Amino acid sequence: MADKTKNSGNPALRPALRKVLPLAAALLASVIPPAAAAAELNIPVLVPVTGFLALEGTSQRNGAVLALSDAPAGLKVESEVIDTGTAPEGAVTALERAAGRGTPTAVAASMLGTQMLAMLPLAEEYGVPLVTVSGTASITERGNPWVFRFFPGDGVTKTAHARYAVEELGKRRPAVIHQTTAYGQSGQAHLRDAFAKLGVEPVFEEGVDPGIRDMLPVLTKAMAANPDVLILHLHSGPTALFIRQAAAMGITVPIVAGSAMHQPSTAALLEPAELKGVCAESSASPVSGGTPELERFTADYRATFKTEPDAFALGQYDGIRMVLDAAAKGAETPEAIRDALAKSTYQGLAMTYRSDGRGNMAHSAVIVCYDGASRVPAVVKRYDTAAPP
Amino acid sequence: MRDRVPWASSWTGIAGGATPALVLAGALVAAHAVLFADPYGLRVLTVAGVYALAVIGYQMIFGKAGALSLAQGTFHGLGAYATGIVGSQLGYGFAVTFPVSILVPTVLALVIAAPVLRLESHYFALATLGIGQVALLGAVEWQGVTGGSNGIAGVAAIELFGWRPGRGLPLALFVWALVAAGAVIAWRYGRGWRRLAFPLMRDNPAAARALGIDIDRLRLETFALSAAYAGAAGALAAHIQRVVSPEVLEFPVMVTILTMAVIGGRGRVGGAIAGALLLTQLPEWFRGWERGYLLLYGVVLLAVVVAAPWGLVGALERARRRWLPERPRPLPVPVDPGPRPTPPFRGPMLYVAGLSKSFGGVRAVDGVSLWIDRGEILGVIGPNGSGKTTLINLMTSLEKPDGGKLYVRGVEMTGMPTHRIARGGVARGFQMASLPPDGDALDAVAAGRAMIDKDPSSAAAHALHFLTLTGAADLARTPCSVLPPGSRRRVELARALARQPGALLLDEPAAGLTEAEQADLAGQIRSAAASGVAVLIVEHNMPFLLPLADRIICLDEGRIIAEGTPDAIRRDPAVMAAYLGPSHPEPAHPGPA
Amino acid sequence: MIVAQLLVNGLALGAAYALVALGFVLVLNATGAVNFAQGDLVMAGGFLAVALAGSLPVPGIVLLPLVMGLMALLGLAVSLLAYLPLRNRPPVSVFISTIAVGIILQNGVILLFGPEPKAAPALFGATTVSLGGLVIPEQSIAVIAVAGLLILGQHWLFARTQLGRRLRATAQDPEMARACGIPVTAMIALTFAVGAALAGAAGLLLSNQFFVTPSSGAGLILKAYIAVTIGGWGSVAGAVTGALLIAAFEVVASATVSYSAATAALYLAVLVILTFRPQGLFGEAAGARA
Repeated sequence: MADKTKNSGNPALRPALRKVLPLAAALLASVIPPAAAAAELNIPVLVPVTGFLALEGTSQRNGAVLALSDAPAGLKVESEVIDTGTAPEGAVTALERAAGRGTPTAVAASMLGTQMLAMLPLAEEYGVPLVTVSGTASITERGNPWVFRFFPGDGVTKTAHARYAVEELGKRRPAVIHQTTAYGQSGQAHLRDAFAKLGVEPVFEEGVDPGIRDMLPVLTKAMAANPDVLILHLHSGPTALFIRQAAAMGITVPIVAGSAMHQPSTAALLEPAELKGVCAESSASPVSGGTPELERFTADYRATFKTEPDAFALGQYDGIRMVLDAAAKGAETPEAIRDALAKSTYQGLAMTYRSDGRGNMAHSAVIVCYDGASRVPAVVKRYDTAAPP
Repeated sequence: MRDRVPWASSWTGIAGGATPALVLAGALVAAHAVLFADPYGLRVLTVAGVYALAVIGYQMIFGKAGALSLAQGTFHGLGAYATGIVGSQLGYGFAVTFPVSILVPTVLALVIAAPVLRLESHYFALATLGIGQVALLGAVEWQGVTGGSNGIAGVAAIELFGWRPGRGLPLALFVWALVAAGAVIAWRYGRGWRRLAFPLMRDNPAAARALGIDIDRLRLETFALSAAYAGAAGALAAHIQRVVSPEVLEFPVMVTILTMAVIGGRGRVGGAIAGALLLTQLPEWFRGWERGYLLLYGVVLLAVVVAAPWGLVGALERARRRWLPERPRPLPVPVDPGPRPTPPFRGPMLYVAGLSKSFGGVRAVDGVSLWIDRGEILGVIGPNGSGKTTLINLMTSLEKPDGGKLYVRGVEMTGMPTHRIARGGVARGFQMASLPPDGDALDAVAAGRAMIDKDPSSAAAHALHFLTLTGAADLARTPCSVLPPGSRRRVELARALARQPGALLLDEPAAGLTEAEQADLAGQIRSAAASGVAVLIVEHNMPFLLPLADRIICLDEGRIIAEGTPDAIRRDPAVMAAYLGPSHPEPAHPGPA
Repeated sequence: MIVAQLLVNGLALGAAYALVALGFVLVLNATGAVNFAQGDLVMAGGFLAVALAGSLPVPGIVLLPLVMGLMALLGLAVSLLAYLPLRNRPPVSVFISTIAVGIILQNGVILLFGPEPKAAPALFGATTVSLGGLVIPEQSIAVIAVAGLLILGQHWLFARTQLGRRLRATAQDPEMARACGIPVTAMIALTFAVGAALAGAAGLLLSNQFFVTPSSGAGLILKAYIAVTIGGWGSVAGAVTGALLIAAFEVVASATVSYSAATAALYLAVLVILTFRPQGLFGEAAGARA
């Protein structure tokens, strides 16, 4: 309810309006009738803005909210942001709540895999497309036609991750350190497959609980296996902890980190010198610049949210923009939106999106590296998997 | 006769005096669900029902038995995983998965009970927490079975013999029907003698044991039952969320259940339901304030607990008691239970031989042998720390003896648990007041009959008989917490006599009494002895004890140093030396006096 | 060599955990109530340090007294809002009121600072010291020293000062203390202040090397609870020992086996200790009042 982003307003007023809106919306929440009959489009944002995934969930939220505020002229969009927390229960309740206020045209849905899995059956029953940036592989493997992932799945990113280490860096003895969360376990499984395809077997693999503070033990064990590259698949804080520990110990083995590293808030925890030579996979790196459109997105994002955008924000932005684009071209019902997402190709800011038939829209990944002087990485390599026919 | 005795109204166990308000609230919620609620409202109601079931179970171990279990969330999670694994991965239907989900946590509870239930308070809490963390770790790491952190997706909707509640109203009604069934079972379980036993067990476990109440069994029962409820709730949660992931085993679930139990009203079935409803609805009401809604939730939670520290049900009851004072419940008609049949035996009523106990190398009781005949009053005296209370504790198994034998009514009971010895015919009083703070004097005495009468109305009728015997019938409806010391002694004596014991062990019964009260008490003890009870009195107060006792034993440093009639003891040089002599400075035993 | 390095890291982490557990046990002893917000107070202390460092670019050691002072005020507020209205109520209601305080702190911090992890400034500097082949972060040494001094300071306060005697008397028997003319309410509020100040110190120390996020308090309260219970409910020495034990498992044991195995081993060790010492390592100190 906090972001009743109506597109009809004057764009210049929007930032100011956005500051007042949360308060106003809170006051109005009880008076506004639940059904939004007047709105043509209803796109609720159901993401985790509290709990351990609040950082990524907030990026998702901001990306979706920015896209909605930039909706093509002539579209009226009704939207509210509902926190899903991190339990599956919270996501389903949020979806029921959103559905209770008029069937949504599409939903910007949580990037937490277990929450997506919980929402899928209900989305199918209601017939609502879920637009997410969750990397968890299994959400598009359940034959559910209502899920659309605007972030490369682990299959894509982990292949890029492994290929960069093996093909570009020429390493054959990777040590894999992953999180014990759903994100971590899914990534580990895909890394193992990707390395196997390249004929490489990791010399060390270990899961780390996100609550672990001291990375020295796992670094010690990893180094004891004599690796030639350290492959990380950790959340933001643990990635920074690991890289800092490695820098403190003067470890020279190169580090190729997971997508959490590319998030500006991760780099902000480290000194540029500690980042020297560190690379990371991601779907995109908005702060690294590129096209003028991307730079405009980054500038808008900074101005609106007073924080740096990451690939999750960009992916969610692109996803919602594709929904709005389809709506502008005449798709008004959830079914029409679903069909448009499933069949058309969309040129987004991060990449070109096209469904592989299962709702996987993103098929590109990039590798970014830090030069040791700045916290903004440079894109060094782009991996495009063959676009589906 | 029994039928005319109004005991507690049958609603007492559910909600005490707040019943009309609760029934009204329940009707309103039901009307809201059936008439007005949208799918979202029904879903929140369904989730509340699932939590209500888990919290009703938690009220047993935590509310009634008073043990801070931190395993309820774990049991809930195991129920969910059982449904996920047996249902989703092995393909069985609800008719199989639901019982399995109840069984798995119950069996785990029974398995861990042996090492865990003997721990007290926070050590019990920590042990249950530890087991929960190991279970969580197992769910994350055992990926082949549990699906790891991603969990198990695609849990089927509930289908029972071809009927599918689906979602929305049918599902909400199905879940709440189970909640109602669970509430009735829980209420029936907590009724009768258990209603008397639980408060005593929470506040004074030793006194409860000494009344013949098998605390260990009650703890085991409540622990297993709480696990069964949690398992049922977990199974429903799995069906409603359609996925099972490690979140169901994480600590926040436990914190939520605990919060609901306390906010609703600890130990109350109605409180469980009220707490679950409020705490699932509360965050939804504040959703509008996107990021601040949990902040608001925290503020309201704090306000509720400060405004209603006894929970919603407790607050309702207090408010009602304040604004609509209850008419005093009518007293039952006192009934003399008549003598209890006891198997014939020869020899003394109570006989101990060579009883010994050391604390950290110091012998608190050292080879004490004594006997008490039917109708005899035996006094035990001795300086502070001579082992008198330890002796009573050994005779009632509150402390385990290092050596020696104990016979009650000719039957050897050495090393048996306290409640068995109590049921064998030994009653005891405590140095410290041991009446439950809640409830009135009649309830307290009726608790003494809990293990004898089983049915509460006859327990109350018999209890009033013994209150009358000790001249305390007029105190029957006085709350125990406001009884003056003299009256407390009478009520405690009535409770001990209500057990119709063969032997009565009293620890400093005259302490804190006026001379008139002492004389009165002495008369009561004499008449108890006259009815055939063997009495042992530990006492410092010689003017009270010497005229009362038939025979006296003097302990010093854990040994019997003199035995004889009061007159003989009065003149015994060893006794004089023990109390006064310079060669016997104050002994420094660590055991209590 | 690496073992020595792990020991230093474990000691630094354990020292910071000990401060958390110490704040928890002081409040427990003074009130018999479990302060479930202790972990979130540590988190709040971390964010406070981050916020102060934003406007005062000074080393952490200079910020430390400031953070502790402000956190002491927060502790007073917690006692005023969440404990004193419930002091003669069932102890478990305080458990719930402090859970509510934790929720308020967590979500208040999200509102004020956002969800990003943050790092507080180092106590002295961020360099490393080489000691005979050991590479030790200066911060680790500083953490051990500062935490050790704070623990000693707390001990001195309670054991040697008039105020400490009053605090202890209040903890032992509030009725008796009141009868002796000790302002019991003020003493309890003061204990909350000391507990929160220690939490703030721990927050400053932990959030430099290990960062702080709004949700990082939840893990800490579990650690403090385990440390305090395994040491012996209410025993100050036990709490410190328990905290070091937990850190040892987290750092030293997990250097040989996986983190998961080390965590499982910690909980199994807890269960084994309870089997043989059902009253904790150092025996019960808070007694039946707890």
